[in-house]
Amino acid sequence: MMLNIKVILFVAFSMLILNACSQVRPWERGYLSKKEMSWDSDILESALNDHIFFSKEASSGGNNAAGGGCGCN
Amino acid sequence: MKNIKAVVNLSKSIFAVALVLIGFNSSAVEEGEVLPEFTLPSIYEGKAEISSASLEGKTVYLDFWASWCAPCILSLPMYNEMYHKYKDQGLEVVAINLDNPIEDGLDFLLDTPLDFLIPSDPEGGSAELFEVIGMPTSYLIAPNGEVKLVHMGFRDGDMETIEAEVQKTLAEN
Repeated sequence: MMLNIKVILFVAFSMLILNACSQVRPWERGYLSKKEMSWDSDILESALNDHIFFSKEASSGGNNAAGGGCGCN
Repeated sequence: MKNIKAVVNLSKSIFAVALVLIGFNSSAVEEGEVLPEFTLPSIYEGKAEISSASLEGKTVYLDFWASWCAPCILSLPMYNEMYHKYKDQGLEVVAINLDNPIEDGLDFLLDTPLDFLIPSDPEGGSAELFEVIGMPTSYLIAPNGEVKLVHMGFRDGDMETIEAEVQKTLAEN
């Protein structure tokens, strides 16, 4: 019985958390496309870091998500 | 054990419901379909509102844009040129602005004046109606309301494809 309540609570809590997951629609990405929202604020610096990483690790990429926030690429 | 099974079954049900909901959601306006009905105010205060009914009988190039969307900004001056080139043949260009706040869109228009119709929809209800899946997305609509072309994104060279379709639609009607 106790376990049952725990399961119900777990499911209810999970659903409560999932409620916060919502899709940002393409036309709602105004804030996301702002400069201060980008992962790397300095393009030159991040390019340099990429270069150093590539020369040390012999691999590059994988550090950016696809798309610039406008949902077009 | 029984409980685990119950949780698994519940998860399966939730997944099934989610799949059904996703299925219901994918009703984007596609080529061959009819233009959905909408009415929106102009971005400029005091100008007449723009509705699908007011566009009936015209060849319309309808675009969804926002000032923060780089390809949109690239495309709009080209649409302005296209508008001037074909307006005498009956082309109407409507670019629905989705900026929220509207002032962002107006600021852009101060620097880049555009001569075609610009409705404003900060809440994005019209984009929801068209199920826009990327910015910018544009639609070429024939005078009978049929969607002739759906174009998503904007890259160099896209204008040629768009203009060719506009010419074709204008010639047919």
